[in-house]
Amino acid sequence: MQTKLAKLGRSALVAFAMMGATSVFAEEVNLMKGVIPREGDDRMTTADQFKKPGPWKIGMSHFGLSNTWTIQMAHDAEFEAKNNPNITDFLFRNADLNQTKQVADIEDLIAQGVDAIIITPLTPTSADAGIKKAVAAGIPVIVHTGLTDTEDYTVDIQGGGNYFGRVMGDFLVKQLGGKGNIWVLRGVPSHPEDINRYQGLVDAIKGTDIKIVSEDYGTWEYDGGKKLCEAFYLSNPDVQGIWSSGADMARACVDVFNQYGAEMPPISGEGNNGFFKFWRDNKLTSIAPEYGPEQGAAGVRAAVALLEGKPLHKRYVYNPEPITAETRDTYIREDLSDAYWFPTALSEEKKQEYYGLKK
Amino acid sequence: MATLSALLPPPRNSRAGPWYLVLACLVIVVAVVAWSAPLFLTPGNLSNVAAQVTPLVITAIGQTLVIITGGLDLSVGSLISLTTAIIVLDLPGWAMVLLAIAAAVTVGTVNGVGIAFLNVHPIIMTLASMSVVQGVALITRPVPGGTVPGWISGAVNGSLFGLPAALVWIAVAVVIAAFLIYRTRFGLHLFAIGGNPNSALMNGVRVQRNIVLTYILSSLFAMGAGFYLAGRIASGDANVGTVFGLDSITAVALGGTSLSGGVGSLVGTVLGSVLVGVIGNGMNLMNVSAFLQIVIKGALLLAVVSVQRRKQIGL
Repeated sequence: MQTKLAKLGRSALVAFAMMGATSVFAEEVNLMKGVIPREGDDRMTTADQFKKPGPWKIGMSHFGLSNTWTIQMAHDAEFEAKNNPNITDFLFRNADLNQTKQVADIEDLIAQGVDAIIITPLTPTSADAGIKKAVAAGIPVIVHTGLTDTEDYTVDIQGGGNYFGRVMGDFLVKQLGGKGNIWVLRGVPSHPEDINRYQGLVDAIKGTDIKIVSEDYGTWEYDGGKKLCEAFYLSNPDVQGIWSSGADMARACVDVFNQYGAEMPPISGEGNNGFFKFWRDNKLTSIAPEYGPEQGAAGVRAAVALLEGKPLHKRYVYNPEPITAETRDTYIREDLSDAYWFPTALSEEKKQEYYGLKK
Repeated sequence: MATLSALLPPPRNSRAGPWYLVLACLVIVVAVVAWSAPLFLTPGNLSNVAAQVTPLVITAIGQTLVIITGGLDLSVGSLISLTTAIIVLDLPGWAMVLLAIAAAVTVGTVNGVGIAFLNVHPIIMTLASMSVVQGVALITRPVPGGTVPGWISGAVNGSLFGLPAALVWIAVAVVIAAFLIYRTRFGLHLFAIGGNPNSALMNGVRVQRNIVLTYILSSLFAMGAGFYLAGRIASGDANVGTVFGLDSITAVALGGTSLSGGVGSLVGTVLGSVLVGVIGNGMNLMNVSAFLQIVIKGALLLAVVSVQRRKQIGL
């Protein structure tokens, strides 16, 4: 009888534990469409580990407001924070592409006693010391839009640069039938995102007869891309495909081909309103991996979830399906400027305020 | 602005430049920040400020030597980056230190020889070397990372007699520079060269040799800042020093050192560097908008430089 009771008790305990586990998964926090737990990594924060009654003071160390994408990502984060009544202070710090300033910004946020810190690292090491200090001070740290060398952070959300580059590389392999010459327009030297995207391309063309005949850094800017394509066109005009690490460089390259009256080969792009209009109007053969500024909002959502006591996975990935010629037009906004990126968490009112085209 | 400058008492030693202006500015800024953000004067935050300004102070001290002679060294930022890249190479400690010193001496010598013997303008010469050194740093360390030896991290992040290590680094740099500037014939010659190189030459000063030596010293101070930064960010990074080229010139100018040479002081440079750091830290603590911070920094530099008489600052 006692054995039966013990068995019954154990069964009840297992059932209870399973129900508990199920309820954890049922409460899976939706950080952003396309953001999912990283496969093979089941580390999680525990429920109530960082729970704190509001109001909260949340800090964000941004690597630098250097282009339209980084600015919109900051807007997304700010918008998400302002719309949460429990966040009374959102302390935004701009490192201005300066590693030492990022270290200082994080130190200052810790000194200000924030309840959570969101960090977008400039380089894989620029935030490591700050992350360790924050975690040692008991502050949860959310990292996104940039890699770190340390794993001391609380939650990490990463759009895979390698995946991004590979999607574009696979597209060219398919378009070229596995054979031909390509140009490669890279971003910023030594920038981890550039390195990872490039590695994705290398992986995609490995074992094919695709040859990189020209390659250089255009710093993800229109001007840089234009200079490169002008030089490449004069030195290696026999090109069947162009792999561009950023939308503005791709637009510049199309302009160069138009300037020379040459036929535009397939070229990779990015989820940007200006590029999409350009893609459509110039009848380009292209593809756009998605890398949305909504990641800024996702970081705030993760901070809020932790402070509400919800368990989160330690690592998330953001590898959404690319945008193709078939789906492109559903994204285009004629009423918004070329500087608008998608997807975003901004409300329609904010979209119009920041990017609306005055009639 | 010029009237305001005229109302101020003349400096005790006109060769030192109007460093008292930056002192006054620093006192005002500290008072405002301390009043607006009580956290500012906490020991933890002051320790943060010390750590944040140290690489700039060390770099700016080397830059001061060059600027006093009427020169300019834009390559210091790249050399800082290269130093951090060398530190994380897989080499024995002594070999790594020797390599870093050799790199600094080489860069300084090339700069000095180009400027003193080949008459290349300092901006052009150091701009060119900045580019070359940056390229070498990127080749040496294409991706930020690596492991910084424990003795460097300990010397940067530790403490000595209860004082943050940062203060020890600043003290060592200041003592070395003060000795060179105020206790040696070389220091006297720097001011003579900056004031009038032809006159200095006619008075027996070995102008060319001293200019070369000055650029070597500037590079060595930048190397010191590179060691400090590597310990602080715990990695090698080929871009980490980029901002220090212009920031060090800003700190020196804020400290009252004349950009046309012949006038300048160590105390002014240290105060100028601290002012830059306190403004950054203070604005963060006061929650000043990230966009507005950029505007305020530029406006402050303009204001401080404007109250200096034109012939003093050579602009």
